[in-house]
Amino acid sequence: MEETNPSAMIYLNNAATSWPKPPEVPAAISESLARPIFGSGRTAGSQGEDYVALAREALARFFGAGPEENWIFTHNATDSLNILIPGFLAGIEGPCHVITTALDHNSVLRPLHELEKQGCISLTIVPFENAIVSPDAVLNAIRPDTRLMVMSHGSNVLGSVQDIQAIGKILHRHGIYFIVDGAQTAGHIPVDLGNFPVDAYVFTGHKALFGVPGTGGFYIRDPERVASVRSGGTGTDSFSLLQPQEMPEKFEIGTHNYPGLAALAAGIAFVNSAGTDAIAEKGERQTSYIIQELRNEPNIVIYNETPHLPIVAFNIRGMENDDVGFILARAYGVISRTGLHCAPLVHQALNGGKGCVRLSLSWFTTDEECRITVNAIREVAHNADSSLSQA
Amino acid sequence: MRILRSVRHKSCADGSRMKEFLLSEPVTEDFFLFLGNFGRVECMANVGAGFYKFEKTDCFSIKGLAGDTTVEVRFRREVMDITVDFLYALFHFYWDGKPDIDTLKRREAGVDKRVKECLYGK
Repeated sequence: MEETNPSAMIYLNNAATSWPKPPEVPAAISESLARPIFGSGRTAGSQGEDYVALAREALARFFGAGPEENWIFTHNATDSLNILIPGFLAGIEGPCHVITTALDHNSVLRPLHELEKQGCISLTIVPFENAIVSPDAVLNAIRPDTRLMVMSHGSNVLGSVQDIQAIGKILHRHGIYFIVDGAQTAGHIPVDLGNFPVDAYVFTGHKALFGVPGTGGFYIRDPERVASVRSGGTGTDSFSLLQPQEMPEKFEIGTHNYPGLAALAAGIAFVNSAGTDAIAEKGERQTSYIIQELRNEPNIVIYNETPHLPIVAFNIRGMENDDVGFILARAYGVISRTGLHCAPLVHQALNGGKGCVRLSLSWFTTDEECRITVNAIREVAHNADSSLSQA
Repeated sequence: MRILRSVRHKSCADGSRMKEFLLSEPVTEDFFLFLGNFGRVECMANVGAGFYKFEKTDCFSIKGLAGDTTVEVRFRREVMDITVDFLYALFHFYWDGKPDIDTLKRREAGVDKRVKECLYGK
């Protein structure tokens, strides 16, 4: 395979996995591997850093929500949702009604549809308008048997951030449990969980928190509301042949991903040092620039011209999005993401499910990279001339 | 032109199976013109050194930039077993220097017949 020279590459697929990482992140991984693993309760000795505790502490401080042991580590956001959703429903007698939204990712949609197929729940999917799910639409979807709502905080396609405050308040007035998927918002915008009316907040490490793939987790306000759906070794209470119910052991089994959690703690420290306000401001400025430059191009369709997150979703008329992504990558070194972005209902609503090209920026995206990207897209759009010519 | 390696396999949203082929030499406009004997070729000549896309309906598509040693191939999954050898033959015959269009056309007819039977039962 022809290798792409990373220095010549403009990486705009950060909504999938961020790259590059701050230098502190690979350094933390190296350091964690250079020492023996130390985990409280699992390994005797004190020669190493307790990266699990370090990362838990970093999360609790960063999101303003404790206690620390209510921060649970998993493999990623999808893994977290697959613990929280069935864990919450395990405590509900008989089938119940669940609400989600058309903006959501398959990490939410698939677990819920599987449960619907098994007859465990009935499901309402609230549509969006102008990239936003209105709190009133959520209110209208509530039924007497509604027990749970699961939704994304930020759309991975349209970059819109939902009004979790308003939606959460409505849900809690009706006694409905509220799980929020923060995969796209954690690290990109300030999230103060101390003041968020959510019952559980899911995050992943490998996006804007600058950790590595294979790390993620969730915050749970009241652990009693969710049953443990996994069981195994915890390094604690080992005479008990049942899963301990203390936190965090109730939800964390097996050996932790120590290098991954070292990376997560370093990533969060980096985000803290840069400041989420500054990160959000830079992303907004660069995204606005790209949109302003492209919005008047007759061949370009932009699906949300006012995203809150640094995401630009677009198509070039007369071209398949996969072809546009291929050309951007191969001819210009601009790495985007094409297709459905694991959010099929968003694309169904946008253009009947044809998909689109997504640019997603990070703190490390430069203004020059934005300028080069705009010029590349313009050039492709001008040459598209609404259709490919036959050779 | 030889296929040195097939990398990055994935399933696409439309159900097709995508592979990237690393080739022994860069693809050229001439290669896509040759492919035009067996399907539809579209191009954007002014993008990079030229973007080309070949599509053999119901079977597979090949896209690439002239001068690049990688092409992206998408197979229609249901008939991939039937069509994959023919796709390899297209690369092999072209690499051979004197692509025997008649022989390839005969092989294509056999492949097309089996694809139709598989997809449409006729």
